[in-house]
Amino acid sequence: MDLLDLASDAVRRARAAGADAAEAFAIAFTTRSVYIEDDVPKVGEDRQEAGLGVRVARGKRVAFASTTLASSEDARSGVAAAIDSLKQVPEDPDFSGFPTEAAKGEVAGVWDSRTASTDVPGLLEAATSFTDAATDLKGTSVPKAIFRIQDYAIRVANSNDVVANHRGTLVFCYLTAKCGSKGKFGEGIMKAMDTSVHAIDFPELGRTTSRRAAENLKARAFKETLSGTAVLYPLDLGEMFIQTVGSAVNGENVHKKRSAWIDKVGKEIASAGVTIRDRPRMPKGLASCVVDDEGNATRDRTLVEAGILKTYVSDGHHAPLLGTTPGNGFRRAVATVEGSYTRPAETHVSNLVVEPGRKSLDALLAEVDHGVYVEKFAAPEVNEFSGSFAMEVRNATLIEKGELADHVKFALLTGNLYEGLKNVVGIGKDPLATHGFLSTPGCAYVPAMAFEGFELVGQT
Amino acid sequence: MTEFLTAAVRALEKAGARFGDVRREDRAAFVVRAANEQIQTVNRVRRQGWGVRAFVDGAWGYASGTAQNIDAVVKAARRAVAIAKADAQAGVPRMALRGMPSARKTFRQKVKIEPKDVSGEEKIAAVMEVCRAQRIDPVSNTNASYSDSDWSFELANTSGALLRWREVRIRIAGQAIAAEGERREAAYEFRDGTVGWELVKGLDLGEFGRSVALDACEMLKAEKPPAGLMTVVTDPGVSGLLAHEVMGHASEGDEIVKKRSFLTNVVGKKVGSPLVTMYDDGTYPGAHGSIPFDAEGTPAHKTNVIDRGVYRGFLHSLETSGALKTRPTGNGRAQDFGRRVWVRMTNTYFGPGREKKDEIIEETAAGVLTKSWISGMEDPVGGGFQAVTQSGFLIRKGEIGPRVRGMTLTGNALSILKSVDMVSRELKLDGGSCGKGEEDYVPVASGGPYMRCKIVVGGG
Repeated sequence: MDLLDLASDAVRRARAAGADAAEAFAIAFTTRSVYIEDDVPKVGEDRQEAGLGVRVARGKRVAFASTTLASSEDARSGVAAAIDSLKQVPEDPDFSGFPTEAAKGEVAGVWDSRTASTDVPGLLEAATSFTDAATDLKGTSVPKAIFRIQDYAIRVANSNDVVANHRGTLVFCYLTAKCGSKGKFGEGIMKAMDTSVHAIDFPELGRTTSRRAAENLKARAFKETLSGTAVLYPLDLGEMFIQTVGSAVNGENVHKKRSAWIDKVGKEIASAGVTIRDRPRMPKGLASCVVDDEGNATRDRTLVEAGILKTYVSDGHHAPLLGTTPGNGFRRAVATVEGSYTRPAETHVSNLVVEPGRKSLDALLAEVDHGVYVEKFAAPEVNEFSGSFAMEVRNATLIEKGELADHVKFALLTGNLYEGLKNVVGIGKDPLATHGFLSTPGCAYVPAMAFEGFELVGQT
Repeated sequence: MTEFLTAAVRALEKAGARFGDVRREDRAAFVVRAANEQIQTVNRVRRQGWGVRAFVDGAWGYASGTAQNIDAVVKAARRAVAIAKADAQAGVPRMALRGMPSARKTFRQKVKIEPKDVSGEEKIAAVMEVCRAQRIDPVSNTNASYSDSDWSFELANTSGALLRWREVRIRIAGQAIAAEGERREAAYEFRDGTVGWELVKGLDLGEFGRSVALDACEMLKAEKPPAGLMTVVTDPGVSGLLAHEVMGHASEGDEIVKKRSFLTNVVGKKVGSPLVTMYDDGTYPGAHGSIPFDAEGTPAHKTNVIDRGVYRGFLHSLETSGALKTRPTGNGRAQDFGRRVWVRMTNTYFGPGREKKDEIIEETAAGVLTKSWISGMEDPVGGGFQAVTQSGFLIRKGEIGPRVRGMTLTGNALSILKSVDMVSRELKLDGGSCGKGEEDYVPVASGGPYMRCKIVVGGG
């Protein structure tokens, strides 16, 4: 039995049990992981899971239930739980039904057959090539590195006879390297994500991670305050964009008056050089798909054009309330699809893309008279409502007259990202993919960017 | 039921595992979320699955699934052994585990009021009450959520253990967004624990919601926090974050084995002022991180990590206790049936001191008092950390002064702990989820007293 067939089965059961309308989201996935510890593969994993999320409606009452999926009995119990909840929930005056038409097809490069067929020993080869390169630097080890592949298939079915399918592969790597001795150590951390394991340059990641470790070891405690240009590396910057821009353009947040960009459509919210798009149809995109997790057709949209806010993104529930089209109802994350069936779809960006500039990272750095280049924060975290942040730097280098100078640590980069967007002085040409919080849908493709107005605060 | 587990254990032994175990889980949850006095989600979640792991010559193989039949788990057991053997051949140093559980026990967590005996309507009404109470001017967005979880576990291993246990958790939270012109500020508050509905029943829900809203409104007037190294009085939540992020992660045995922790080789040495005592205690009654057994079947334990400034001990799984030739401490935990075991904290906190909170404030000429935490990030290698607070207050001439916005605390862990010069007698623990790096989240709690120390502060 194909477990995904149980999506349509669940819809039929829900209707038979008295639901006016029903929607089922089924997902089946395999996960293969290798964990390197102290330069050797310590743990290998092979996981198989399937799950079902069922949303049912009677009049304006809507309820949701989810279950792991191993048999038709699971579908039956999931539907029964959702139907039972209908008696308890109050009416949702804004509920407007489920999609009536689904898009067909696939976005190119979202599912990679070679990646899907890579087993644990195959993944071990990738892990070894990373580890060999990282430990090539004398005195460097790999205390911990995670390599994970997921191959997943989704089906969304509803009582309007919509049946939509999507499948994809995801590769997630969390990589560390360590160097030093006698109680003084430095650590470098990198992440890599793609839809194909063969698109990732593991030796290059090894070299970058070990370089970061060496620079972290050499870094001095920063004891001054620095106001100047801050150049931020794509990965952590991408997370900062998901937290702020991703929240501000979220139609659900706009409707609930949580967004920082309420009533800002048509207004300037960023420097003229900044253009940001939501691109669910982008080839090889981690979040790419022709249908979202509600079954609505996706579409690429320009969110910010030359610094002007153009529109918001919405799921099926909030699009009619905002007068926009749906297509951004998601529940699966891009670092892992685990748990996606346990929650109903909500509004999220898909691939949040900052239009790249023309400058290489070196060219961006060469233009800075006085500032700091931050490659890695302890944890990129920005207040989504106010835009304020203060983040500990883990890999940071001072810039003096276009040249990289001292590596520094034990310091905070502080500022406001919404204000920073209005003070962008440079955009790199090479975006990298990154995700937000582990289970949060959506990802960002952001290049390195240079900002004015941030401050580096040390132990003054 | 026992036949399922026994079949897996036999298959592990037959396939050549030196040690192995099988853990079966049944996780039920009920979730309610409301925004702007409207129910957003009523979600019943059920996740059932199992994970088998095999230990062969120093390496682990994991396989997991959701199909509830003996054939599936037997095949998974063989797969786990094959993965472990493949990893072992890649050069993992041989080692022996220690302290493998062999007991046959059943533990049923008891609560005063079973969440499953409380109707969905009553839970929804509680959430709506918290949400409605936040509606004061100028709050623009009100939010409330409730969740209860009831997890059942069964574990059997090749050492003869057969364990069954249950974990019940509950959580209620409110979040208000206040807006004035372009400015938006958020406040968040929650209560949780390994308790039943009595937690909600004992709470004045209206007062709980109103206090969150008032906090958000007050934040609109908050000033930018000062920056630099200064005297900080940490509240119990932020003290807990220091315990968890600064010393807790670095005390995890796997980081010690890998020499990835700045605490490697410090047992018996002074790491803080004599006022600093710290525990990790999985047996703490009612705390969110309390567990009867860890994911390996080892009973929960109270570990004295720091005793009056002197470092005493690490946290261990079966593997790290084997590597360091000591006893496991009940800290081998896994996110769920499909995830590997890591060494993880449970309830981590600093012990109380002798002063009252007010006495500490009176004795402080200038500094900041923190108010509630948002997040933290560890740095076991470098001994740094990042802690983000919701807000705080200036302290001027022994009195609490104006409110300041959220700030980030950072610095060198040992310098901070050595600077602790006052500790309050009040003690409180907050629950939360803790990831290892960026994933593998498990329920934990952290806390402590009010503590006065020197920390680098910055805020956006």
